[in-house]
Amino acid sequence: MNLGKLVWRNLLRRRGRFIFTLAGVSVGMAAFVALMTIGQGLTTEIKKQAQGLGANLVVTPKGWCAYEQISVLTGEQLPEAIPMSDLEKIRAVPGVKSAVPYLNEKTAFRNQPVPVIGVWPEEMRALQKWGIESGRYFNSPDERGIVVGSAIAKQFKLKPSDEFTVRGKLLPIIGVLREAGSKDDIATFIPLTLAQQIYDVQDKVSFIAVQVSDLEKIEATSLKIQEVANVAVVTDKQLLSSVLSIVGSVGAAMQAVAAVGVLAAAFGIVNTLLTAVHERRREIGILQALGSTRRTLFLAFMLESGLYGLLGGILGVTIGILAAYLFGSYLTDNAFTASLHQSQTVAIDYGTILLTMGFSVCLALLAGLYPAYRATKLSPVEAMRHV
Amino acid sequence: MSNAVIELEKVSKTYGSGAAEVKAVSEVSMTVERGGWVAIMGPSGHGKSTLLQLIGGLDRPSAGRIVLDGSELGTLDAAELAAVRGKKIGFVFQFFNLMPHLTALENVEIALWLGGATHSNGRAMELLERFGLGDKAHHLPSMLSGGQQQRVAIARALANEPDILLMDEPTGNLDSGSEAELLTLLGELNKAGKTLLMVTHNIAVAQRAERVLQVKDGRIVADTRKGKH
Repeated sequence: MNLGKLVWRNLLRRRGRFIFTLAGVSVGMAAFVALMTIGQGLTTEIKKQAQGLGANLVVTPKGWCAYEQISVLTGEQLPEAIPMSDLEKIRAVPGVKSAVPYLNEKTAFRNQPVPVIGVWPEEMRALQKWGIESGRYFNSPDERGIVVGSAIAKQFKLKPSDEFTVRGKLLPIIGVLREAGSKDDIATFIPLTLAQQIYDVQDKVSFIAVQVSDLEKIEATSLKIQEVANVAVVTDKQLLSSVLSIVGSVGAAMQAVAAVGVLAAAFGIVNTLLTAVHERRREIGILQALGSTRRTLFLAFMLESGLYGLLGGILGVTIGILAAYLFGSYLTDNAFTASLHQSQTVAIDYGTILLTMGFSVCLALLAGLYPAYRATKLSPVEAMRHV
Repeated sequence: MSNAVIELEKVSKTYGSGAAEVKAVSEVSMTVERGGWVAIMGPSGHGKSTLLQLIGGLDRPSAGRIVLDGSELGTLDAAELAAVRGKKIGFVFQFFNLMPHLTALENVEIALWLGGATHSNGRAMELLERFGLGDKAHHLPSMLSGGQQQRVAIARALANEPDILLMDEPTGNLDSGSEAELLTLLGELNKAGKTLLMVTHNIAVAQRAERVLQVKDGRIVADTRKGKH
């Protein structure tokens, strides 16, 4: 007989209570793990998309909110507000290596929404370093045709020389892009002039991606752009951080919900152990009569509590990761994540697992403190109390 | 008496304070010699059990001093007192007080562990076999008769080879057959040198002891000795 064996026997003697308390801890920790895992997956993916932008500065109309900034990263439809004349002015600013316009529109193809992005073919290809999977790329800046992303081609089973409709206009598919692992896979591209014509937005674009020739002077270049044109300019880092802060605040809200669950589970442990201390008061007296010190009693209850944390943590991590895989895509399904591969939103991280296990055990030990203290305050005289 | 293993000097225990003060034990002085067998009798609520608790170090007196086998209990801290309970004293209770979720063997082993026994392999089984419980070692207390449970409790009390056995109504929940068996067993232990101190209501049980103390209102009112058989 030793402390571990006694504690293990005590833990299992009330099966029902053990199972329900453990279930509480497991569910709380599972929610914690699932949300951490989903949140991290999302953050990683956003960073990847921001890198895929390939620009140092993004020129937007004044007064855009964060949602529109997110759309820059996702290729969602955007209002057209920057006149082409501004684009020419920006291209002339010293320090601007290249300025590439985007006109983000949307069409319905076979009743599915598909992003249609108007671009300058040559400049865009240089910026994105696109490869061609099949067919070819645009031959001229105003060729009447469409190039589709790899995921779109797969989804609609499209190949070069098939036809695509943009706002009712039939366009031949010229080529299919090689998979880039970014938002470009789920978009279609047409020359800017064609897009402006089809969507009837003469001389306007949604935003402009700018590469600067000297990163050291990025601030000065940004200010200069705002002098020559009536626009707002954000750096890619600002864009990323503002998008991440939105995702982060959503993530923080989800984690706060998970924290409530975890806290409730901790109170469950306190409750179970306090009941156990009360039920076993006579036994605690007997243990003391047999020579148990208060320290041993304290350790016994702390160990019992810690085991709830350990077992609950193991179960919770397992359930949480499963849940993240099964439901992660639903939880994060929104305009932004629609562009991501579903499995990409789940990131299993050993750090998260260890953190959760540690958190679970520490919280359980904290929950055990009061019941364990109560146990040490019981008198050995309880052993002789006649019931 | 130099051979005293239990010595009490003006020991009192009061509960509550002021008008609600209750004196459970009042200035009791007594000694028990090594190898003695003492029964404490008296009406319910007159301090017998409190006296036993004080002697066993389960509770501390409000006044007076208790010396157990050379250790003055009042000078010991909580951990040292726990060690005295674990090593020098074996407790036997009216309700047997076995751990209900542990087997007979584990109930004895737990005392070995708490008493700090280092090489105790096989000792628990040895004790159970000695009391005719070898085949019940892996039974839970609920599967044993009252007499068997009390023998497990005695095996547990003897696990760390204490010199003193303190018993609170040890036959209180036994049928007459089991009671006779238990008294025979206690006689053997006493002959082997154990000091026995027991609280009992039963005159027949008390008469097996060599000395009977009558307690009333927290005081010893009579001390009857008889010669050893």
